[in-house]
Order: sequence, then C-alpha cells, then structure tokens
Amino acid sequence: MLDKLIQFSIAKRYLVMFLTLIIAALGVWNYQNLPIDAVPDITNVQVQINTEAQGYSPLEVEQRITYLVELAITGLPYVESTRSLSRYALSQVTVVFKKGTDIYFARNLINERLQQAKSEMPDGIEPVMGPVATGLGEIFHYAVHAEKNALQANGQPFDATALRTLQDWVIRPQLRLVPGVTEINTIGGFEKQFHITPDPTRLLAFGVSFDDIVRAMQQNNANVGAGYIEKNGEQYLIRAPGQVADIAAIEQVIVTYSQGVPVRISDVAEVGFGKQLRTGAATLDGEETVLGTAVMLLGGNSRSVSAAVATKLIEINKTLPKGVSADPVYDRTVLVDKTIATVQTNLLEGAVLVVVVLLVMLGNVRAALLTAMVIPLSMLILMTGMVETKVSANLMSLGALDFGLIVDGAVIIVENCILRLAGRQHHLGRILTLEERFQTVFTATREVFTPSLISVLVVILVNLPILALTGVEGKMFTPMALTVIMALLAALVLSLTFVPAAVALLLTGHIAEKDNVIVRGAKRFYAPVLEIALKLRLLVLGLAVVFVLFSGWLATKMGTEFIPNLDEGDIAIQALRIPGTSLTQSLGMQFQLERAVLDVPEVKTYFSRVGTAEVASDPMGPNISDGYVMLKDRQDWPNPDKTKAQLIEDIQQKLALAPGNAFEISQPIQLRFNELISGVRSDLGIKVYGDDLGQLLTSGNEIAELLGGIEGAEGVKVEQVSGLPILSMETNREALYRYGLNVADVQDVLAAATGGEEAGLVFEGDRRFTIVVRLTEQLRSNLTALERLPVPLPQGGYVPLGELATLILEPGANQISRENGKRRLVVSANVRGRDLGGFVSEVQEKVDQKISLPPGYWLAYGGTFEQLQSASERLTLLVPITLVMIFALLMMTFGSAKDAALVFSGVPLALTGGVISLWLRDIPLSITAGVGFITLCGVSVLTGVMMVSAFRDGLANGKNIDSAIREGAMLRLRPILMVALVAALGFLPMALNTSTGAEVQRPLATVVIGGIISSTLLTLLVLPGLYRMAFRKPRIAVENAAAIKS
Amino acid sequence: MTLQNSNNTLFHKAVLAGCAFLLITSQAMAEVGHDDEEEHEEGHIVLTQEQIEHAGIGLAQVGSGTIRDVLPVYGVIAVNAERVQSVSARFEGSILNVTKSIGNPVRKGETLATIEANESLNTYSIKSAINGVITERAANVGEQTASRALFVIKDFSNVWAELSLFTKDLPKVSVDQEVRIHSVNSTVTANGKIVYIAPYGDRNSQTITARVLIDNPDGRWSPGQFIQAEITLSDTVAPLVVRNEALQIVEGRSVVFVQEEKGFEPRPVTLGRSDGEVTELLTGLSGNETYVTSNSFILKSEMGKEDAEHGH
Repeated sequence: MLDKLIQFSIAKRYLVMFLTLIIAALGVWNYQNLPIDAVPDITNVQVQINTEAQGYSPLEVEQRITYLVELAITGLPYVESTRSLSRYALSQVTVVFKKGTDIYFARNLINERLQQAKSEMPDGIEPVMGPVATGLGEIFHYAVHAEKNALQANGQPFDATALRTLQDWVIRPQLRLVPGVTEINTIGGFEKQFHITPDPTRLLAFGVSFDDIVRAMQQNNANVGAGYIEKNGEQYLIRAPGQVADIAAIEQVIVTYSQGVPVRISDVAEVGFGKQLRTGAATLDGEETVLGTAVMLLGGNSRSVSAAVATKLIEINKTLPKGVSADPVYDRTVLVDKTIATVQTNLLEGAVLVVVVLLVMLGNVRAALLTAMVIPLSMLILMTGMVETKVSANLMSLGALDFGLIVDGAVIIVENCILRLAGRQHHLGRILTLEERFQTVFTATREVFTPSLISVLVVILVNLPILALTGVEGKMFTPMALTVIMALLAALVLSLTFVPAAVALLLTGHIAEKDNVIVRGAKRFYAPVLEIALKLRLLVLGLAVVFVLFSGWLATKMGTEFIPNLDEGDIAIQALRIPGTSLTQSLGMQFQLERAVLDVPEVKTYFSRVGTAEVASDPMGPNISDGYVMLKDRQDWPNPDKTKAQLIEDIQQKLALAPGNAFEISQPIQLRFNELISGVRSDLGIKVYGDDLGQLLTSGNEIAELLGGIEGAEGVKVEQVSGLPILSMETNREALYRYGLNVADVQDVLAAATGGEEAGLVFEGDRRFTIVVRLTEQLRSNLTALERLPVPLPQGGYVPLGELATLILEPGANQISRENGKRRLVVSANVRGRDLGGFVSEVQEKVDQKISLPPGYWLAYGGTFEQLQSASERLTLLVPITLVMIFALLMMTFGSAKDAALVFSGVPLALTGGVISLWLRDIPLSITAGVGFITLCGVSVLTGVMMVSAFRDGLANGKNIDSAIREGAMLRLRPILMVALVAALGFLPMALNTSTGAEVQRPLATVVIGGIISSTLLTLLVLPGLYRMAFRKPRIAVENAAAIKS
Repeated sequence: MTLQNSNNTLFHKAVLAGCAFLLITSQAMAEVGHDDEEEHEEGHIVLTQEQIEHAGIGLAQVGSGTIRDVLPVYGVIAVNAERVQSVSARFEGSILNVTKSIGNPVRKGETLATIEANESLNTYSIKSAINGVITERAANVGEQTASRALFVIKDFSNVWAELSLFTKDLPKVSVDQEVRIHSVNSTVTANGKIVYIAPYGDRNSQTITARVLIDNPDGRWSPGQFIQAEITLSDTVAPLVVRNEALQIVEGRSVVFVQEEKGFEPRPVTLGRSDGEVTELLTGLSGNETYVTSNSFILKSEMGKEDAEHGH
C-alpha cells in the first residue's frame, strides 16, 4: 500500500503539489482560529454556583443555601465531585464534571435544577453560575484612578464611591461588549447607596419603627403606567410618576401621622450617600482603588481578547470625566507575546540552522530547500490538527517541537534519492529519462523509508505513557505529546507524498553526487576511528556499559522538580492574616506591605485584591489578599542582570518589615491555577466527614496528633474552620413572653440596625442605587449602643434590646467546607525522607487502630499521593509495555531479535548523554526533561535502524561481515550525521535562549542535544563493534534481509 | 557472548532505563506541594525597631486613669408636680374681670381675676401663689365660678426628667447619682441628680421611673419631650488602666501585649470597670510596664499567621 502511495505521488506529482497547497492553505486558515496562550490550561470542567446572601453567617449560609444547592445538583449525570464553601454572605458550590463534558451542557443541567432549589430559598436569594471561564481567564486588570485635583460635577473630589460608580456604569457595560469577554469582575471602592440612618431616640419620640420607614419608602417610590385614553382621535398614554430622585426627595417622604402632624423621614433620620457593607477591596501602590478584571470566555484567544480589551479601554478613557482614567495594570498580551516570541525565535532559528545543515551536507540547493519545505508544511498541518483536537498553542504544546526531528524522515529520503540519482546518472553516464528518474526516486524512497517510519512509530510509542497521565500532569503534558505526535505524523505523510513528488519534480538535470569538504573530512576522520573501534570493540563496549552505569548513578543524585516554572515576569504575593481580621484592618496592613515593597527599585506597581470580588470566582475572606507585583522592564533596573531569585529575596526582605502577615509568593497565573484546582494540595489529606463541626474538629485534632508521631510526616495541619469572631444574640424567651414579643421582632431590629434593610432603588438613567435603612456607623459598631436599641412593644412603648437578649462575643465557624454533600474537615501532611506509599499505608493502619469515630462519621484519604500512586501505577505498567512494543516493532522490521536488540542498545546510551548534559548545566530532572528523553529514544532508534539495515544490505549483497560493516558504516555516515546535526541544531536555540518561557524548554533541549551526541557516537562507534560481536550465523541475516527487501 | 546473553542484557538495560525514567517522573511529582514551614518561637513576638515603626505600633505606659462608667437610658421631660397650682375661687361668685390669658407668665401675688362674691357681694381678686405660666383658663367674664378650677399655673423653671429604668439596670442606679441629659437632637444638655426612684413599676413596659430634677431657666426643656440621659455610675480613679484598643482576645482570653526585653508578650489580664476609652486592669500587669496601644491587632495576627491559610 505504501508503495502504491509513493508511486501515485510520483506519477501524479502535480496533483500532490496542488493538494499540499490546499492543505497548507487550510493550515493558514486554522492558524487564525488557534487559541494562543502562554501555558496550557489545567482547569478541569467545573461550574461554580455562587449565591450571595447579605448578612448571613457561615452557618446560616450552609443551612439555608448551600445545602439546597447541593441537594438540587445531586444525581446530575457526568458529575465527578462537588465541593462547597459557606462563609459570610457567600455560598459557593463547585461542581466538577467528568473530563470532556461540554461545559454549556453542564451549565444547562445545573440551571434547570437551580430553578427548583430557588423556590425553597429565602426571598431575594439568587444562585448564579460563575462565568464561563477557566483559570487562564483573568487576562486583563485595570485600575480606575483619579488625579488628586480632579473634581466631580458636584465639586467634590473623586472618592472610592465615585470611581466605583464610573466603573459600574460607564466602563464595565462597554467592556462587557468586547467579543470574547464573558465577565468584567469588579473589586474595590464602594457601591453608591442612599442611606437612611434613623436615630433611635427620635424613632421613639415619634413612635416610628424601622419597618415603618422601609414601608413608607416602598410606598412612595414607584412610577405607575395607567394605560391610555383616546381623545379627539388622539391616543394619550397615562403615567403616574412617583419615584424619588435624590436625597431631598427621600427626606420628604412621610412616614406617619402623629396626632395630625406628618412625620417626614428627615424628622427621624439622616439621609445621605453611604457605603455598602463590602466583602472586598482593592489597593494600588498603597492606596485604595477600584480594580476591574476582564475574564475571557472559555476557549478564547487570550492574546486577541486582551488586545481588544486594551483598545476598548483607550476608547472608554476618552469618555471618562477629566482627571479620571482606567489604566491597565496587568495585560496577558505581554506575557503571551513574550512567550510566543520565545517559541517563535526558537523555532525559526532552529529552522534556519536545519536549512543550513541541509545545504552544507547535501550540497544541493533544490534538495535542501525542498527538505526544508517540510518544516512549514508540517507546521501548517499541525495547526489544523491542533484546532481539530482543541489543543491550544502555548509554551508546552509547541515547546517540544524540534524541526530537526520533523525533517529527519525527509532528510534521509532526500539524501538517499540524491545518492541513487547521482549513482544512476554516473552509471549510465547521461541524464536520466523521466521514467528512469521516477523509478530511481521510488526505489530510493522505499529503501530508506523503513527507518524513518520506525523512528516515527517509536517516538509515538514512547509518547503513549504521557498520554496516559491524568489530572494536572495530564493537562500539562498531553498537549505536548499530542503535538509532537501530530507533527511527526504530518511529516511522515509528507515524506511519503510530497517529498517524492517534489524530488521527482525538482531534481532534474545533472546531479552532482560528490561529498563536500565537511563530509569528506568527516569520512576521512571516521574511517581510521572506526577501524580502531572495531578492533577494540570489547573495550569500547565495556566503556559504554560503565558510562551507562555512571550516568544511571548520576541520575539518582540529581535534583528533581515537577516541571520547570514558567517565569511569568511578574510576581504574585498572597498575604494571609488570621481569620477574623476585618477588611479595614486587612487593608491597612496591605497598605503597609505595598509601601514597603514599592521601595524595591525594580517594582513598577503593586496592586492587590483584598477579600472577595463582586463575582466570587475566588472566595477569599477579608483576611487574605492576592497581590500582583509588576516589574519594570529589565533595562530600567539598576542592575539589569539581577536574577529573579535575588529580586524575590529583596522583596521578601521588604515584606518582613510589615509584621502580622504570612506570605505565599508565586506568579499571577500560577496563583489562579492553584485557587481553581485547589482540592488538597498536600501529599496526604485525611478527610473527616460528619455533621457536627465540633466533633469534626476533635477527630481532626486527634488524627493530626497521630500523624505528627509517624516518621516522615511534616507540616501536619488541621483545616482552619473556626476562629471567626462572631457576635451572637441569644434571645431570652421568657422576657419575650413577658412583653408579648416574638423572636423575629428582636432579630429584625438587630438585623435592620446593623445589617440594614433595603428599601427600594433610586434610578438615574440606567444606573440604579439601593436605598438602605441602617443605623449610623458609630452606633452599629458600639456594643453598648446595640444593647440599648429600643424594640417597639405591641402595646406601645419600647424595651431595650439588652433586656430581651444577650449579646455574646465568641469565636465561631470561619467557613464550612463540604464535599459530595457532607461537611468535611481536612487534616493534611507532607512527607519528607520516606516513600509515600509506605507512609500512607502506615497512616491508614494506625488510624484504623487508634481513631474511633462516632456513628455517622467516616474518613477518606486523598491528596497528591493519589495522583502519584495512579501515575506511578500507570507508568509502571506502561513503560515496560512501551519498551516491549518498541522491541517488537524492531523485531518485526528485522525479523531478528538480535538485530532488534542491537538497535535497542542505543537507547540507554542515548539517555546517558542527556543525563550528563543536564548535570553539566546544573538543571534538575523534570517531566520536561523526561519528554526530552522520549525524543531521544526516537532519534537513537532511527540512526540505529539506518546503520543496522545498511549492514544487512551489505550482507545480503554477499559481502563478508567485516566489509559489510565497514562499507555500511561509511555509507550511513552522512545521513546519520545529518539526522543528528539537524535534530541537535534544531534544539540549540532552545537550549541557549534566556527570554521569557525559555526555562520551560531548556531542560528538554539540553537533554536532546546531549543525548544525540552520545547516541551518534554510539551508533558510529559502538554499534558496528557490537554488530560484529553479535554476528554469528550469516544465514539468518541473509534470509531476513531478503525478507525485508521484498 | 552468546546471542541469548547479549539479548538479555540489552533488554534488561532497556527496562532499567525505563524504570529510571519512571523513578525520575514519580520523584519529580512527589516534590509538588511541599511548602516550607517557618519555625516560630513560642511566647514572645520579636520585632525589629524598623518593623515596629513600619507597622505603626504605638506604645504607652500603664498608669492610673479616670474611669467614667455611664448608663445610657431614655426618658421624657415632665412637669415638676410640686410646681403646679390650680386656682379656684375661694367664695363662689361671678367673674367681673380676668387679667391673664393662657400662656401669660405670672408672678407670685399677681392678680389673675376679680370676683364678686355671691353672698357678700364684695369683690376680691384671685392671685397667683407661684411664679409660672397660665396653662389652663376656665374663667371668662360673667361666668359663675362654681367650685371649678379657674386657672392652672405651672412653673417651668425646673422640670423633672423621668427616666425609664429596666430591670437589668436597676441595681446600678441609686438616688443622688449624677445624670447628664440630652435633647433628642443633642442640641440642649443639662446636668442633674437623681432625686427619686419610684418604688412601683409600669405594668406595660416593665420599667421603674427614676426622677431627675433639672433647672429650666430659659424654658428649653418642654414637658412631653423625649430625652436621652447618661447616668454616671462611677467616676473614679483606677490604679491601672489601659486604652481600650490595646485589648485583644486570644484563645478566648483578654490579653494585652507587653513589651519586654525579649519581645512582645501577650499577657492575659482580668478586666475591671471600663468606659468608652479606658479599661481597668485587675491583674496581669504592674505599673511602669510598656504596652501596645495602637495596631495591637497586628501582633495578634503575627502570632497566628502560621495557621492562616486559604482553604477552598
């Protein structure tokens, strides 16, 4: 079949060219739709359901909202797990769906169920699904900023409320329209509210209650449409306006008549603009600000979306009042551009090097160019493939591409074609006829096609274990393996179709087949060395074995890391304070931090989100702040060569100046990913499920104590569930009966006084502002004043709140976490200096023995150990299978276990070079380096197969073993060198580059280059000797060679 | 070396290499998720001078201070019942002349009306016995006096403030305590003393009335007005007081952060009386010690920050 394909390609070469052109055009078109980002998206398919409940404490949120939402989504199809979080004023339920579930389908399912749940929830509570976005969604942050002397229309300076109003009603509505933006999230400032703050004494004096004010507002603030009338042939619409428009109008609303005298709101209360009870705030360089975040729709192209947002923002800025501007503070485009630029440079420089190698080694411009054409063509096919398989273009997915590797197949085919064409010409002494040329190209292609097919198959095989990775690792590396496989397949198909067609089309006329200086030099040098290597083959082999053992030992001594971190250029600092820290206090401490860090000369700006934003994609308490430190361009640094690590150290020193904060330093995208994937990030997490928080905590502490005593446990932590100071009002029922009051009467008074009660809206065009009835700040925050709050009595008169209830300050639940429908508490630990599996089984055994849980409570084990175990199990199974499969493949090719084993022997030696080069460059082992090793396997098999098949051809042609080896080796020197050179040089820019993103690719490239050097040496020097040693029965070899030829 | 042998060795080598890769990968993954724990010295919080300044931590010496403990209550202004005069005619007769109308101020001894007695037909005048204001008048010329009250004169030069005391407050309040009274909008204030606490209560509101006599020379207090009042429960000098913002609650106990040589120590204290500004310490601190006033919360946060986390 393959023969037919090659023959067809040669015969219908113009058609093939045309088809190639179409496919290339398709690739160009697909490239426009290819999502581009800096790193792969590792978010799972999840839907967040956020429900805001102003004033509700964690316990009430859980009981009245979270539970209902969880109940509603129970039993949905494709759900993998649910987890929830109930904290002050917010319920968040996260539903994780199975991999591959369509997010819109999932949201539809949830939406349907939520409608039912809503009816059972308290009035005015509305569960909302989070934006359709992933962890990479936050692509653009901007801060709304006013100059010091800028004034509002009413002559006041712009305060946090005014800026927030601009953000909410001018900037946000416009930005939301930018295609690809799913949400503009806001944090900081205060929503403008109209506040009616009654004076308790005056309320008493007029016998008016909170409720009376609310009711009066509701009944005096509506426009009514009243149909139409016809008059003299005309139609008159009727409306009865009655909305209040401003403070003065609110003040005039009449609350009640007291003995014929109207009591207005202004008689019993102050009316003014007030501040909402906010759950989050934003800071910029030590001052409050309003921060907007553009969230990209799932599957969008972050570069184009954030560029569009930036452009739109410039437009919007023109419409803002004088002195006010919305300035970008974080723009993903910068990072993506830098990363993509790095990848592009690497690929481009690699490609150029490859072309140069081809030119030099082949000495034929046409041949070199047509081989090089395979690079862009396979790239374009890859684009189509990536769009089809929904793999985004990023550092990881494009990072493992090596053009050298891609053109390897084409290189050997073209090289052999030139060799054979020139040979035939030389033999016939004339230029070939069309028929002869086609015939030669076909046989030449066919001759070396097997090695290139096998090498591609080998690379695909070794990539299989990577495809089997699950979880975060899988999301990181599957795209990498997929792109490599796709690119190789594309190149393979091209070298079967396009390459022979192009060779047949282009390599006309006289073809000079004489080695150029370099190849001649190499051959001259190689011949004697080969002689020596053959003579001292036992010694050479011994050395090779020692070498393998040495680097195996070296590998165990090297440091390891998961994947090298992409340096995002900027720094994220999460500052944590103790739970219960108020927003104001937290802000104050954040200001201190920012001012300190701004003293570092490399820092451009430092902005933070404190607490939870409007859309609670990340529900943080007010005690936590996510800070982003944006750095200046390197050339503006006092010392442009300063390392990132050093800079972080400087920043840490400054951070230490502000006590009371704990820090976690990471990078913006990294931080967001960690928040989204969450779950248990420690090695081992023991989850205790049950009903009573106290019991959970008791059991949790027992387990923590037990864990601490087990060898290897480190950083044992019990999830922090309490510690939030709560002021709870316990009503005295007897006192209530005495006065003829209900519990609700007292609760309402407290709620209205401290939380406030909404009493309608004030409209200003599109803008709408809430009217809130609430006590003044001074009274709200004063415990004694709260105790004196008058509670109106049904029979007239009042009684102070303190008579009816006791106010108690006590620590309470900070947050309530649930998983799969039950409360849970996590005890987590990391493991050091011990194997994880052994540790976990010891823990399980001891916990079973010593911890007894009450009925209705149970334990579950989780944590990264699960992934680690499953990954290890998969790999333990898959890696040997893969190796066996490679071996089987080779055996099928050669029909000889011996030859297959000989080719296989190249693999460990190739790996040694990789290990040593890593060690020389002081780069730790990582999965990216592992991918490099995988690539190496392919290259070493390719060269091995080429070499061994040349030996066998020689034998088949009746040569004796020594001359077959010698001639075969000399014949293959050029293609092997070429293959090695293109593969190694293709990765050279990647290994040396230092710009953004290079650190992720560097280990891979280093491994491949080092490995190729050792693998080439092996193929050229050790393999011939080895073959000679293994050579016993020429008969088998001849037979097999004949078999392979046919 | 036989074919079989070389075959085996090579295959083993290959498996070995594969396993090495596996090992590397699993080790690399095992490294994820480790974070370094910072050791923390128990007991004292050590801060450098720089940190103290940057965090804005304020220090003060423990010393004596005045504590003015007050009880805020509501009340209403009432007429001083001892300063009300209801005037009627001593001898029945017809009214010849009336000189004062409602609202007119009268002085003691001033004539209010002239009456012609029915029996003696003598005329006599009715006079005011107090200084005050006419609040009621039931007398017009020509009318018979009968036995009714012709005028009510009220003296507003001092009034009662009747304060409602609820059961809980009752034990704290006693006669002679100083009271400061504010009008509803706090524009007018006056000082007085509790002169009387009613021995009986109100059935509906379950309150006991305490009475304060206040001067009202220019009539700013009108009976019927609602008022707020603060009863001074104590106004004494305590030997050891700290500012209220210094108090933090750590593990359910009140503590004050005390500066010592080794650093700041969270010292548990027992609290005595307290007012809006300072609180008396009964135990825990001795005189001359330096304690943290402003931003004491930062120290509390510094103590507990190791446990701070961002859970989901």
